Amino acid sequence: MRQKSPFLYCGKKLLSFLLSVFLLSVAVFYAARLAPGDPLVSYYGDRAEKMTSQERAWAEARLGLDQPIYVQYARWLENAARGDFGISYKYKMDVAEVIAARLPNTLILGGISFVLIFTGALVLGALCVWNEGKWLDRFICKVGTVVSCIPEFWLSLVLILVFAVLLRWLPSSGAYTIGGGGVADRAAHLALPLAVAVAGHLWYYAYMIRNKLLEEVRADYVLLAKSKGLGSRAVLLRHCLRGVMPTYLSLMAISVPHILGGTYIIETVFSYPGIGTLSYESARYQDYNLLMLLCLLSGGLVIFCNILAQMINERIDPRMRSEEPPEVSDRE
Amino acid sequence: MSELLEVKNLSVSFRTPQGEVEAVRDVSFSLHPGEVLAIVGESGCGKSVLCKSIMKLLPRSAWIKGGTILADGADITQYRQRDMERLRGRLFSMVFQDPLTALNPTMTIGAQIAEAVRVHQPRTEKAVVRRRVLELMDLVGISGGEDRCGRYPHDFSGGMRQRAVMAVALASSPKILFADEPTTALDVTVQAQILDLLREIQSRLGTATVLVTHDLGVVARAADRVAVMYAGKIVETGTAEDIFYDPRHPYTWGLLRSLPAWARDGEPLYTIPGMPPTLIHPPRGDAFACRNEYALAIDYQEAPPMFQISDSHFAATWLLDERAPKVRPPMGGEGRG
Repeated sequence: MRQKSPFLYCGKKLLSFLLSVFLLSVAVFYAARLAPGDPLVSYYGDRAEKMTSQERAWAEARLGLDQPIYVQYARWLENAARGDFGISYKYKMDVAEVIAARLPNTLILGGISFVLIFTGALVLGALCVWNEGKWLDRFICKVGTVVSCIPEFWLSLVLILVFAVLLRWLPSSGAYTIGGGGVADRAAHLALPLAVAVAGHLWYYAYMIRNKLLEEVRADYVLLAKSKGLGSRAVLLRHCLRGVMPTYLSLMAISVPHILGGTYIIETVFSYPGIGTLSYESARYQDYNLLMLLCLLSGGLVIFCNILAQMINERIDPRMRSEEPPEVSDRE
Repeated sequence: MSELLEVKNLSVSFRTPQGEVEAVRDVSFSLHPGEVLAIVGESGCGKSVLCKSIMKLLPRSAWIKGGTILADGADITQYRQRDMERLRGRLFSMVFQDPLTALNPTMTIGAQIAEAVRVHQPRTEKAVVRRRVLELMDLVGISGGEDRCGRYPHDFSGGMRQRAVMAVALASSPKILFADEPTTALDVTVQAQILDLLREIQSRLGTATVLVTHDLGVVARAADRVAVMYAGKIVETGTAEDIFYDPRHPYTWGLLRSLPAWARDGEPLYTIPGMPPTLIHPPRGDAFACRNEYALAIDYQEAPPMFQISDSHFAATWLLDERAPKVRPPMGGEGRG
């Protein structure tokens, strides 16, 4: 008997996921409403500033903002459970629709940069270890240290200046040309944001993988693998990479919020119409309903990735499984 | 009889921040097909380094300073890693001191043995590999291989892991097996089982074995011939009988006297005074001189050459020079116990 029933196992994971998301929603709900700012400005625009106090009270009652926060939360939760997340104060549309319109842009940017960062990091890390101490290793490490210290917004601005303003090779903002929008056009718009996202994160993860891999290369089992006649490349690729996989996957999971956060900043600088710019706006203008759903989506993704990484870890490294099979002993 | 392995005047050093460590100094020995040669000595005397330098498994900070290594007739001293890869597993293989760390924790035992089977015959069919894996597990005394080859190292106890390591090492039927303190990390009861297994496999497969150990009890149980190492040098070599019944080097005397079996009732166990010298700047003359109660003046001046006592028995001590005073070994009687 290896493990308790998979049903129970998944149930436990699901429960911890739901609990985390619930706690997140409470925290965001309170934090948003306690933050200074006027949600009515978001809904009524400049008119809100000229309202009389009676009008204000009426408007607040209409949006349900006159109730104590916990009552507001209970009502929000009740509606959310039915799939109704309210309307966006700014767009006067169902928040799900607002997000659905922007989500694909962010998924493309974040997804591609995520894949590029992690394949790149693994390749660079392995390359460094393969050439440990030689010029290539030192070069990669040094370039990485310098590049990863450059702030993303600054790098974005410099790239816009060089490639969009001076050379005029690439567009400076947006996700596609309005009216046009072929694959090439999309790719041209993605190039700069992608370059910034990858450059900002790649080195750090490559360096982590390099160091972890160096530990593995020095492990005792490498001697046995070599002494049975395995070549250095096979030792590195078949044995040592296996050893860094748990770290690699944990890194992937932990990196999701970082890369997501990074794309939010990049989206803002490049005026890229994704949920990054949307989150920024909604937090800034007290668009509560929109903010809630965005936070739930981002946070849910982060929590989900963490749980997923843990599950993959348990599969790859058998020592991490909580249920231990009995020890096989000499005496029988 | 042609030698399977012949090491001549081998010196191996390490670069360290403190300076060059001369871990192996001018060592010569040979290994006949099918015999068990024990290399005995204190921790840090260079016995492990000696084996690893022959298999070229040392870290980059180590280099072979001089001497030659002839393995199966070929001079492998200058071989690069790629050349060594062809020899490892088939010509020689190694069992390590700590079975807890020698196996890859993330691969099943079966997969690690199978990898060793396939490494020199990459096109072997799956079923053939599997049969060979089970055969090897059976050979090293892991019963129930069918079930256990799917287990991970952490499911195995220390002794079982060492058996698995041996299965890996024997997978390509090497002619030489280096066993680097294979029992040191194990429980005393398991030690004996592993030694018996080594001996049994050696006699069944005819694998020549170099057994590195600091434990003379292990030597007595398993070895045909013995080389005693001290401070990077071999100070005495001979058959197991020569070493146990007619030891000539004062260091060998010290080692034998330190065995609990030699202790008399009520007397404290003998220990060799002092500590081994550091190998960064090894002392001039005989490195053992300052711990040797029989040291002669010349021991501090000049390192003794190997004196031949019989066809098989050699020792490097000035006491064997014809001008030296005659000294009786400090063990009771003629050294017979």
